Amino acid sequence: MKKTLILALLVLSPTIFAKEIKVNVQGMICSLCSQGVQKKLSKVPGVIKSAFQLGKKEGDVKILPSVVITTEGDNDLDDKFINKLINEAGYNVASIERK
Amino acid sequence: MSKLVWLCYFISLYSFAHPVIYKDGTVVSSSNMPSYSDNQVMYSWSNRWSSGINHWRFTKGKNNTDMGFLKLNHLLYRYNGDDSQANFYVHGGVGIADSEIERRQTNEAFMTGAEGDWETRTLYTSLKHYYFTSPQVTDLAMTQARVGFAPYEAEFEQIQTWFMLQAMYMPDVESEVIITPLLRFFYKNVLWELGSSTRAEWMINVMVHY
Repeated sequence: MKKTLILALLVLSPTIFAKEIKVNVQGMICSLCSQGVQKKLSKVPGVIKSAFQLGKKEGDVKILPSVVITTEGDNDLDDKFINKLINEAGYNVASIERK
Repeated sequence: MSKLVWLCYFISLYSFAHPVIYKDGTVVSSSNMPSYSDNQVMYSWSNRWSSGINHWRFTKGKNNTDMGFLKLNHLLYRYNGDDSQANFYVHGGVGIADSEIERRQTNEAFMTGAEGDWETRTLYTSLKHYYFTSPQVTDLAMTQARVGFAPYEAEFEQIQTWFMLQAMYMPDVESEVIITPLLRFFYKNVLWELGSSTRAEWMINVMVHY
């Protein structure tokens, strides 16, 4: 029973503990653009989903805060770090919304 | 020296051109027509600068001029709009040239160029100009303009199709402007183009972002 609970917690933890961030990006007009943005974000440990929709010009980023380690050593993707990543990909952040 | 040119060619063969992409990204591209080919591998060490190797072949009749360069690209200006993007790049390169057109010898070569584009998800325009010089061999210039439209807007997981028209002028190779209608396709990180000029010359371009 204990093992089952631990296993269930492990399986469900990304759903239960994950935080969702919506990022609106300017200049992203083709799949090659969104590929670059997705790649930058997905390289950060703890980012479990990074999917961008060209039509909406926005991306859904799902993170596990306890696992996230940014290059600055932070355990969260703050707005400044998201801005830095999107700028490195060559684009601008229009807005960031946290759920 | 000519071995080095061929080495650059074969390294880059397996690889069109987005000269600067995202930081730590690599672009491998190959652009081919009977009168020229442009193959390159570029690594972007920032979102403004990239460098790599670039091989050009210009064919006049049955004679080729091969040029291999170590190339530096700079994204001088980028506009990121809500629904559009515009870029202006400058390029420079040093390398070697081997020509059968003017003199059959290998020598130092230099290239410089500039290109600009403006695009939305359904409209595309671009203009680029390259100038190649090798003091002991030859000078070459190339100007290329493009306009295009996409009939629909695709997402990342879908194939995006573009209809384009390319005009290219290489006065040292062809006396006429080469007009080429072409189809461009995007899928995820791969772009490929197929075209045929008004003189029935084929064109195949491939570009992959890593």
